[in-house]
Amino acid sequence: MSARLEAEHLYKVFGRRPDQAVERLREGADREELRADGTTAAVIDASFSVAPGQIFVVMGLSGSGKSTLLRMLNGLLEPTAGRVLFDGQDLTALGDRELREVRARKISMVFQHFALFPHRSVRENAAYGLEVQGVPRAERLKRAGEALALCGLAGWEDSWPDELSGGMQQRVGLARALATDADLLLMDESFSALDPLIRRDMQDQLLELQQSLKKTIVFITHDLNEAMRLGDRIAVMRDGRIVQTGTAEDILVRPADDYVSSFIQDVDRSRVLTASSVMDTDLRGDEADCACETATPDTPFNELCAISARLTHAVAVLDKDHELVGVVPRQRLVAFLGDEQHEPTPCVSPRDGGEKVTAHA
Amino acid sequence: MPRLPLGDWVDSGVDWLLAHMSWLFDAIKTVVEGMYDGINAVLTAPEPLLLAGIFAVIAWWLRGLVAGVLAFAGFLLIDSLDLWDRAMSTLALVLVATVIALVISIPLGIWAARSKTVSAVVRPALDLLQTMPSMVLLIPAILFFGLGTSAGVIATLIFALAPGVRMTELGIRQVDAELVEAAEAFGTSPRNTLLRVQLPLALPTIMAGINQVIMLGLSMVVIAGMVGTGGLGGAVNEAIGQLDIGFGFEAGVGIVVLAIYLDRMTSALGTQISPLGRRAAAKARAAGNEKPWNYRPRPAFAVIGVVVLALVAGGMGVFGSSSGTKATSATDVGKGKNITIGYIPWDEGIASTFLWKEILEERGYKVTTTQYAAGPLYTGLATGQVDFQTDSWLPTTHAEYWKKYGKQLDDLGSWYGSTSLELTVPAYMKDVNTLADLKTHASEFGGKITGIEPSAGMMGLLKTKVLKEYGLQGSYDVVDGSTPAMLAELKRAYAKKQPIVVTLWSPHWAYSDYKLKKLKDPKNAWGKGDGVHTVARKGFAADNPDVGKWLKDFKMTESQLTGLEAQIQKSGKGEEQDAVRTWLKQHPGLVDQLAPVAKNQQSR
Repeated sequence: MSARLEAEHLYKVFGRRPDQAVERLREGADREELRADGTTAAVIDASFSVAPGQIFVVMGLSGSGKSTLLRMLNGLLEPTAGRVLFDGQDLTALGDRELREVRARKISMVFQHFALFPHRSVRENAAYGLEVQGVPRAERLKRAGEALALCGLAGWEDSWPDELSGGMQQRVGLARALATDADLLLMDESFSALDPLIRRDMQDQLLELQQSLKKTIVFITHDLNEAMRLGDRIAVMRDGRIVQTGTAEDILVRPADDYVSSFIQDVDRSRVLTASSVMDTDLRGDEADCACETATPDTPFNELCAISARLTHAVAVLDKDHELVGVVPRQRLVAFLGDEQHEPTPCVSPRDGGEKVTAHA
Repeated sequence: MPRLPLGDWVDSGVDWLLAHMSWLFDAIKTVVEGMYDGINAVLTAPEPLLLAGIFAVIAWWLRGLVAGVLAFAGFLLIDSLDLWDRAMSTLALVLVATVIALVISIPLGIWAARSKTVSAVVRPALDLLQTMPSMVLLIPAILFFGLGTSAGVIATLIFALAPGVRMTELGIRQVDAELVEAAEAFGTSPRNTLLRVQLPLALPTIMAGINQVIMLGLSMVVIAGMVGTGGLGGAVNEAIGQLDIGFGFEAGVGIVVLAIYLDRMTSALGTQISPLGRRAAAKARAAGNEKPWNYRPRPAFAVIGVVVLALVAGGMGVFGSSSGTKATSATDVGKGKNITIGYIPWDEGIASTFLWKEILEERGYKVTTTQYAAGPLYTGLATGQVDFQTDSWLPTTHAEYWKKYGKQLDDLGSWYGSTSLELTVPAYMKDVNTLADLKTHASEFGGKITGIEPSAGMMGLLKTKVLKEYGLQGSYDVVDGSTPAMLAELKRAYAKKQPIVVTLWSPHWAYSDYKLKKLKDPKNAWGKGDGVHTVARKGFAADNPDVGKWLKDFKMTESQLTGLEAQIQKSGKGEEQDAVRTWLKQHPGLVDQLAPVAKNQQSR
């Protein structure tokens, strides 16, 4: 399947003579060198592609350039170099007017601090994008109402933004973005300003909506847990560069460098890992020959632990065709949970009651 | 440091503008005067009570019942002080200046908010306009637009422009950047972003700016009164010019009522028309405390009320204006022709001006008299705004003005002479008899000579010549002020028998009221005595041969002049013309003597 959105070697440099700075960056100059000259390289050589219906999360700390990257995707910022292709159309080649047309119809955005218009009611806020498109009043209010209902705000249409809680305000922001029927949703730290419980609710709701709507979403966050929860694919940014792109498991299991691994220390692995990334593929062949409970490659880590606790031996992992693809010994589960890659060291003076080694029983 | 001839550049710039851009100034003048006349006509057409009612209903709608009642009381007060027409003319002036200021400042503010370059250029220009002393701008305004409404409006609006621009720029810049970005992210065009997001959200700030524009405009109205805009500003100006504290206070109260009304109404309007303001008001209402005196009529009801009152007012205006057909008499030479006399609030000027006003009105002319400072008066004559004035001291005292404007003026000859200028002390200053004596008594007088308007010719003469001749420059400062202030100071010092030295001239009623001593001038530093000349705009005598002849033949003796001055002084401010009538009754036949009507004209 071809990509819906593609970024090709995007650069964004703020300051004087940006083109020269891009040249120097291509020759391998450092971000710090440029900063000494008073130019800021916000995004350096960013390339990625997003498939239709996918949630692509860009994760990075503040100042890593992720928001700048997002704003280049819908032309709010013009890239200093590189291209953005949306459905094969080069957005960077468009004029202001055509670009506005694309933003009005095909790309919508959800903001960190909601950015609701305080002088418009909830319904009018949700209808804003349609108003820009020129949809007649009656129809746009009807469609705005539907979008609000989808986001769980039925009955609040005639309220005003300042009467709603933060979570509800962001639902209005989401409804405003969904009402336009845009294919691409850009979400800029959209849940970061919410408190943790509300944030979880919103994440769940987004995933639920995504099941039925199948939008293409680029989601910006500084929270790796959020990235892992939402992202079909994740790009990790550092100092303007994308340091790793991959699925949540790729990043967790095969961090590209020390920076990424230092990042993933705090991640709740049990929520992200599945049997396929934990299992040992070095097989004898007879592990699934008993009638005991088995797992599939998609079985989450938590459930794997539960199965393992009910068995006396390692859990066998079978694929769709019931072929044995791997085995998960209990030792491995503990090692992954503790992020320990080495084999256990034998005890010098084993005592009674010491745990039996069951791994290769 | 070499002297930078900035002033010369400005002078030649003004001359160039006058020579090449007068069509533009004339066009602006036409627009401004048209607007002013229109608004003024609307405001003065209805009965004062009805218009006060309309103002009250607007206040009731915008702010509530108490505001409505107070507004009505305030406007009644203005009417009862007999200042209604003046107040309406001031209101019209402020409204015109405000409307034009907003038409200029809001687009400029928007532009400045969107471009840093524009903002950087506009800011110092606004600083210049706002802080440049207003009189400095007023004189060029007269040169470009002539005396009267348009010069006043332009000076007012230049002064009031700055907050309109600044607050518009500030309001737009203050709109949350994320909201603007949101609008852009949904593909809103820059124009719609402005109209749908930035302006609605900036509206409260912009309304505060409009409020400031109006208030600054009102405060400028008094200064604009100096160039003959009339209205309350003119009233205040006349009152302070003639030291009439009571009348000045009344006119001041009129301005205060207008100011408070306009201030409260515009700030309430800010809440009414901005979506955020309405939202806040609705919230406050929802929170309770609904009291009967806070009840405000719905907009539709208020509009109906205003329209009904306005219709009644308009109807009455129609009936009211059908009166007044003038009887023609044999001595009606003028046939209602307009003549404008300008005067400086000096006693002989007031006396002769109102004498001629009375005489010309008896001869069927419509005469307008307006008070000016000397500078604007000569400018007005030179530009043809004023027909004539009777108080030019030539050839010495007003030599500077004559040098500058003489070519555009006609000298109709001296009607009184000769005059003298002098420094004067009270008679109780026994040891001071000549100008030379002043030197040794400098500490007694505090090194202070109480002077009059700095624009008066004698002040220039005193500073550049007289002090030098007698070696007084080091020991005395000349205090600039005004004639009434000098006279008040003299009166105060005289009552307490304190030492004082003032600039004075003969003839003057002060010499008959107080025991004063003219300081002798053996070196003849003050020069020869002047004649008091009548000076008309170029061509006035040709346009009005009768009046021209009367003025050329005009003469007054010292006893006539001092007698008339004393009568005016006795009658008080505002009663000058009555004083002239009383005085003329005591001098029967004088009118015919001063303004003879030929036999064949009489028989017509």
